[in-house]
Amino acid sequence: MSAPELGTSEPLGDAEPDQGPRVRRGALLRGRGLAGLSLVGVVVLAGLLAPLIAPYSPQEQLPDANLLGASAGHLFGTDEVNRDVFSRVLHGIRADLLVCLIAVPCGAVLGGLLGLVASQYGPADVAAQRAFDIVLAFPPIILGIGIAAVTGVGMLPVICVVIGAELPLFGRLVRTATLKVRELPYVDAAESMGATRAWVLRKHVVPNILDAVIVQLALSASMAVFISSAMNFIGIGVRPPSPSLGGVLADAMAQLGTNDMYAIGPLLVIVMLVLGFQLIAQALLAERRHGGDAS
Amino acid sequence: MTALLQIKDLTVRFPGVTAVRDLALELHRDEVLAVVGESGSGKSVTALAVLGLLPRTAAVSGSIVLDGQELLGLDEERLRRVRGARIALVFQEPSTALNPVERVGWQIGEVLRAHGTASRRERRERAAELLAQVGIPPERARDYPHQFSGGQKQRIVLALALAADPDVLIADEPTTALDVTVQAEILALLRELQRDRELAVLLITHNMGVVADLADRVAVMRSGRVLETQDVHRIFAAPSTPYARRLLASVPQLGVQDPPALDVPASAPKSPPAFAVTDLVVDYPGHPAALDRVTLSVAPGEVLGIVGESGSGKSTLGRVATGRLRPSSGTARLFGTDLAPLRRSDLRALRRRVGVVHQDPAASLDPRRTVLESITEPLDIHRVGTPAERVARAEELLDQVALTRDHGARLPRELSGGQRQRVALARALVLEPALLLADEPTSALDVSVQATVLELFAELQRRHGFACLFISHDLAVVDQVADRVAVLRSGRLLELGPADQVLTRPTSDYTLELLESVPLPDPEAQRARRAAGRLKTSA
Repeated sequence: MSAPELGTSEPLGDAEPDQGPRVRRGALLRGRGLAGLSLVGVVVLAGLLAPLIAPYSPQEQLPDANLLGASAGHLFGTDEVNRDVFSRVLHGIRADLLVCLIAVPCGAVLGGLLGLVASQYGPADVAAQRAFDIVLAFPPIILGIGIAAVTGVGMLPVICVVIGAELPLFGRLVRTATLKVRELPYVDAAESMGATRAWVLRKHVVPNILDAVIVQLALSASMAVFISSAMNFIGIGVRPPSPSLGGVLADAMAQLGTNDMYAIGPLLVIVMLVLGFQLIAQALLAERRHGGDAS
Repeated sequence: MTALLQIKDLTVRFPGVTAVRDLALELHRDEVLAVVGESGSGKSVTALAVLGLLPRTAAVSGSIVLDGQELLGLDEERLRRVRGARIALVFQEPSTALNPVERVGWQIGEVLRAHGTASRRERRERAAELLAQVGIPPERARDYPHQFSGGQKQRIVLALALAADPDVLIADEPTTALDVTVQAEILALLRELQRDRELAVLLITHNMGVVADLADRVAVMRSGRVLETQDVHRIFAAPSTPYARRLLASVPQLGVQDPPALDVPASAPKSPPAFAVTDLVVDYPGHPAALDRVTLSVAPGEVLGIVGESGSGKSTLGRVATGRLRPSSGTARLFGTDLAPLRRSDLRALRRRVGVVHQDPAASLDPRRTVLESITEPLDIHRVGTPAERVARAEELLDQVALTRDHGARLPRELSGGQRQRVALARALVLEPALLLADEPTSALDVSVQATVLELFAELQRRHGFACLFISHDLAVVDQVADRVAVLRSGRLLELGPADQVLTRPTSDYTLELLESVPLPDPEAQRARRAAGRLKTSA
């Protein structure tokens, strides 16, 4: 922390490893936080290890296995073209996690930077606020259909939509938090010592708004899972036959009477992810409030 | 004679802490009992316990008897009838005690209605009467709180408290948020009201001057216990406990300290003054000038005290000195360099030679940085030496402000208020500044802590020889540290001269008024002065 390099490295990433774990670790090791972490952990692990633990290939059409119910051999049964639903769900997790891993950090970093810039320069603030208003005026799915009309279906529109939906959230969050921190006496103190604007941002503002950003990250991950599942469900996401949670669920809708687990399986995973991220966010938020009271 | 309010064996526990322990107090009719003590001594908790206003997490035991009625354990409805009607409360901050969206007359009327005055006309007449009693023109009953000054608001709060004709008035730091001249008026009013109504007043304060002015008896509290209860004259003359002795000794008194010997003005002014302004004007659009043609200078090594009440422009002057604010006209020079035409980068370089200590050490230290990180920050900003040298330098400063190396690893919230202000001092001095700007550096501190911080300040000033702009509203504090004193009022410089001269033989009427308004921490002298003052006003 005392190294005086005044680099131009991205501020959000810069301070994260240093300030991050101090408060947060505790919150994730008990109660809600632990529950959320376990839910997300199980799903992430299943997705990562999919090629190892999936009993079949996601595309493999099995002989004599049309719309079988759940059994020891096929945990979620099989689908209408004789594929193992459990294997497809495991592989489908990867598509959703990819969205979370790429789109959420991108949205956070871009939105955060926009928010920081907006908090520093008046005209940029006005421009950013109006742009955020416009993006927020579109429901994410409509935005997705619009983008897919230009780019064609695939992972790209899903990622674009998640980034688009998160830009304004992070932008506003960072802007407000920055403006608030900047008014505090210790920032005034640093400026009186001769600190530059960049120094104040890097050393005082960013570390002090990071907690708020981390909570929003968890919330955004939950939202990203939801949006990507919804887009895959309506067919503008991952191109079939590649599996995705939303895609498997969409296919299952036609077969509800025959194999219930066909729909329940992917749904269960989506619920675990969304709920898990929400629990993590709540636990972090509660921890932050406590921390705020104590200081 | 039995006591009107009798508190016995009162113990208040919060989860993890015992705020009040086996407390016993007696308050008689027509008596002012002052409860003094430093922050955390349990004085406010005691007041809240009497009114049953403690949070639910508090466990209360013991007994509080008002005129034969036990108050502890009363249900909410019966307590409500005691509050206001029998016991009224006045808080420290008048602006938060009034509802900003209702007229003040209506607010007084509400208290009357809650205690049974049904007729609207009667309420209106009584509200006007009450306002008149506290010195507010009755026709102003139709005004809103924001249309009144701080002192007037505190008068209205007093009218509210007295509306239902209580027997006991609990005043929790009633004048702490007010300027000293306004404080003098409110104290005079409190005294008059107490006499007229034969009120029993429980006065909670940390200001020994206020105690000397108003109190009949004094209870000294520390860590939730009453250490001693004494007649006011006896406690000032011969306190029996060591703590009370120390507390009284810590109170800075005007004219008692010898002005620090100083040779600097004698030596020829070879070097330019550390900070000098000529005909300085600072105005914000749409407001009267914050500073109006002020000319003063701080010689190298000199401590210039800037005194004035809120709105006098003293903090504005400080902001000009650090280059945070540019003069609207006139010149401001830092070490001989004119600040107005400077570019931002040059200004930053100049700031390296200026240290700043803010009023509230809790807020001026980044809560996420350890003490050591905070102290090395100025070195980091200006890239002085290697990281190891910076740490060594910071540790040296820790020694100088009488903190241990262990403190360096702590976060600000793990330190006491006085320790935090020591850290702020160390941070301000780490670059060996030629000018230190101290803006109310001790006003957030308890009086005994203030005494040690001021001592430390004087010692560091001798050792480092920096010039200092010492901004304060407390004349006694300024008297203790300053070589020269400047008195500001509404942006104008009224008086500038050697400290002992300005503070003992002032030339301006306003300075005299300021000096007279400071309640003396000596009941005899204060009462004599009040008697003289009363003769003056009634004539």
